[in-house]
Amino acid sequence: MPTNVAERDIAGLLFVAEMYGVQLDQLAALLGVTEPRARGVTASWRRARYAESARLGPGPPWVWLSRAGLAACGLRSPATAPALSRLAHLRAVAAVRLALEATPGYRGAGAFWRSERRLRARMGGRVGLREHVPDGEVHWPDGAPVAWAGECWAVEAELTRKTVARTAAIMREILTRTGDYGCPAAQAREPGRPPRHDRVLYLCSPAARPTVARAREMAGALGARVETRDLPPGAALPGLPGAGQSRAGQSRAGQSRAGAPS
Amino acid sequence: MIRRYLGLLALLAVGRLLIRLAGLAVIAALAVAAAPVSLVAAYAATMAWLAGWPPRRLYRAALWCLPMVVVWLAATAVTTRSWRQVAAAPYLAWLAMWHGAAAGSVALAALTIAPAAIPLGLAAGGLAWAWRGYAMRTGTGGLSPGSAVSFDRRQWRHQARSARARIAAPGAVPLLSRGGDIVPGAVIRTVGHRASPAAAIPYRRLRSHQVVIGTTGTGKTTLLLRLWAGFCARGLQLYAAGAGHRPLLVVLDCKGGADSRRVADRARRVLRDAGARSTAVWPDEAALSLWALPPRQLITTLVDMIEHGTGGAAYYADVMEAVVALAVDAPAGPPASAADFLARLDPGWLAAVYAGDSADAALLRSASRHIADIALRFRTLFRRLGEGLDGPGGFGDADVWYCILEGTSEISVAETQARALVDLLASYAADGRGSQREILLAVDEFSAVSRRLPVWELYERARSLGLALQVSAQSWQGLATRDDDRYRIAATADGGIWLLRTPHPDAAAGLAGTRPVIDTSRRVRGVPRWSHEGSSRIRQAPVVDPAIIRSLDVGQAAYIYRGGVTYVQIKRLVAAPAAVAGQPVPGQPVTVTGAAAAGHASTPRPEPAAPPDAGQFLDEAFGAGPH
Repeated sequence: MPTNVAERDIAGLLFVAEMYGVQLDQLAALLGVTEPRARGVTASWRRARYAESARLGPGPPWVWLSRAGLAACGLRSPATAPALSRLAHLRAVAAVRLALEATPGYRGAGAFWRSERRLRARMGGRVGLREHVPDGEVHWPDGAPVAWAGECWAVEAELTRKTVARTAAIMREILTRTGDYGCPAAQAREPGRPPRHDRVLYLCSPAARPTVARAREMAGALGARVETRDLPPGAALPGLPGAGQSRAGQSRAGQSRAGAPS
Repeated sequence: MIRRYLGLLALLAVGRLLIRLAGLAVIAALAVAAAPVSLVAAYAATMAWLAGWPPRRLYRAALWCLPMVVVWLAATAVTTRSWRQVAAAPYLAWLAMWHGAAAGSVALAALTIAPAAIPLGLAAGGLAWAWRGYAMRTGTGGLSPGSAVSFDRRQWRHQARSARARIAAPGAVPLLSRGGDIVPGAVIRTVGHRASPAAAIPYRRLRSHQVVIGTTGTGKTTLLLRLWAGFCARGLQLYAAGAGHRPLLVVLDCKGGADSRRVADRARRVLRDAGARSTAVWPDEAALSLWALPPRQLITTLVDMIEHGTGGAAYYADVMEAVVALAVDAPAGPPASAADFLARLDPGWLAAVYAGDSADAALLRSASRHIADIALRFRTLFRRLGEGLDGPGGFGDADVWYCILEGTSEISVAETQARALVDLLASYAADGRGSQREILLAVDEFSAVSRRLPVWELYERARSLGLALQVSAQSWQGLATRDDDRYRIAATADGGIWLLRTPHPDAAAGLAGTRPVIDTSRRVRGVPRWSHEGSSRIRQAPVVDPAIIRSLDVGQAAYIYRGGVTYVQIKRLVAAPAAVAGQPVPGQPVTVTGAAAAGHASTPRPEPAAPPDAGQFLDEAFGAGPH
């Protein structure tokens, strides 16, 4: 561990660790700095052997943590570069998190993002085909100055179009779950206990939007606890459809973050 | 001469009649003289007849009166200060009783004689009732030889009525006795077992093998639930006291369908009341991971899950085993899911992984043209099996696993699932975690799915792993497919055999053996009169009368153990209210619970109140407008 790790570095390292990896523009938005400055921060992490970076796909380079970096963040997950097939999804989820964390309501409430990677780590690698893990959870502390204080939200970023039945099944699975991830299987869905997720927040690409809407209708009464919104503008990979919005989102998120107290 | 002879005969007859009358007069005089004792004895014997009590119960009641007698005698000794007075106290009380009665003080007279009359009357009533029962059992009592049969039937009705009344009384039949024995219900009758009001089964017998046979609608599920609840409750008691491991109950319900799901829901509620923290219903609500098996075992299980032919097909079985072994034993470690395993059944992947190993590479080259076919077969198998064996989850995650196999509608799938579940349980029991549990494996109608795993093999594996096995079936034939196996299972049920009403109980009932009984013949003196002259002999009669088993009512069971039988009226466990069924998930089986299962209209699950509006916040974060 380098001796001169700043608070900003810690926040950045934790963010990158939890999100599997982020692209440089998103890291810059997170840290509230310009991209060249974020490149410098990444270089310092690399020198400390905490992070790796490479250009994995279209757009800016990706940054992810090495084994030492993950260990420093308290995660025991394997240190691998983000899979190519997941780049778009990882970027979308990171954009959703950045957009949420940029709002005054989120910061004022002291809400907490529990990432998919942490959920999977808690499950100890026992995730099978049967269990769906959301892209993240947002925990709103009790007593927070929001009407939904004490709630736990599941967050799903939908880029591609699944079948309506599969989407509805996932929706129901999330909304009827009662136990924490990693709990004994028998407690995952225990009759009579309150649901774990008070609502599920779907952030959809234009392609996935109709499917999610129909799945929500299929969910019946459970659908009242489903919130759907468009993915934030910076969610798409640069160079792919929707990248035009990405720049707008990038600047917006970056501005919000820059204005936030660090 | 003839007249004299006839006169002599008449004289002898009159003499015999007079002697008999004199005897009766003496007995009547004694009964009148000891009227209080006679009245109590008559009352006690009548009650025993009405309730079907054994004489032992009257003797015990007489013994419970002894403290009263001691107090009475002590009071006499203190007031009179004379041992002679104490010795003569019964006689003096008898005299005082008559004097009081003659003076019209009947209540005072009864009170005076009560300390002596009640225990004596109960003992006398017990003796009289024992004599009556003995006479009827040996065929010497009653007006006709058929009286014994009528007496026995009537007594059965009385005993069953008493047992039903006992289980209806709140708190009369707890789940566990004070000594920690499991109480399935009230005793109707015993043969060769100790008679007591409540049937008590020691916990260790549930840790042995048991067999339960009973047709549908006879109360088999009620009995099983009671036994399972007793196992969980007592096991958890011992665990809490540090005297045993935590219990684990695994139920393989091989019928499937809505009925199994109804039973699963009932079991969950009953067992929760018995202390079981969590009940997992497989595959509807919980999954197990086949991939948690050790690699060697995983290879065997995966290969066994695929149907093989014989003869020339054995070659393909060997090829399949070799390919599966290569996929499972790959340097990257065993597969973590079905998708992972299927992805490995690819010639390119295997070739890349085993590129550095010449022996395995050679094996791979010779088997490579079959790999696509093998992958196809496994892909089909996993699609049919569903996701229940693809994890996550293990037997250690719950106190009770209720596994539903569709043995009626999808036999081949259920057979494969049964094979895999038993392998998983065996692996769990054999490793360190499972050995720290006291496991009861209850299988219902296992013969329906036992083609891949003969029930006898299951039995042997359970014995070797220290599991207790409870095999239940609707009939003797349902225990196993072959008669030899049926006898082997039943004969080794050292925890006892439960028989409910079943049309063919002879084989199972015969395992209780025989007992010596007195058989008496009576001479016919003319229709419809039988004399009391005849001859008696000892003969061997079955301990368990198959006719009684055939006529058992709902909720009645015979518990056969060590050459004796206890007929029990099972006490139904009343569980907490049913869980309300949740909304069905498309593409997933529906768990039928509570009212829905009972055929009533299901009420929709009460959803949490509509969450507070977060629209403004979300608009701020992601832009305006929900879609």
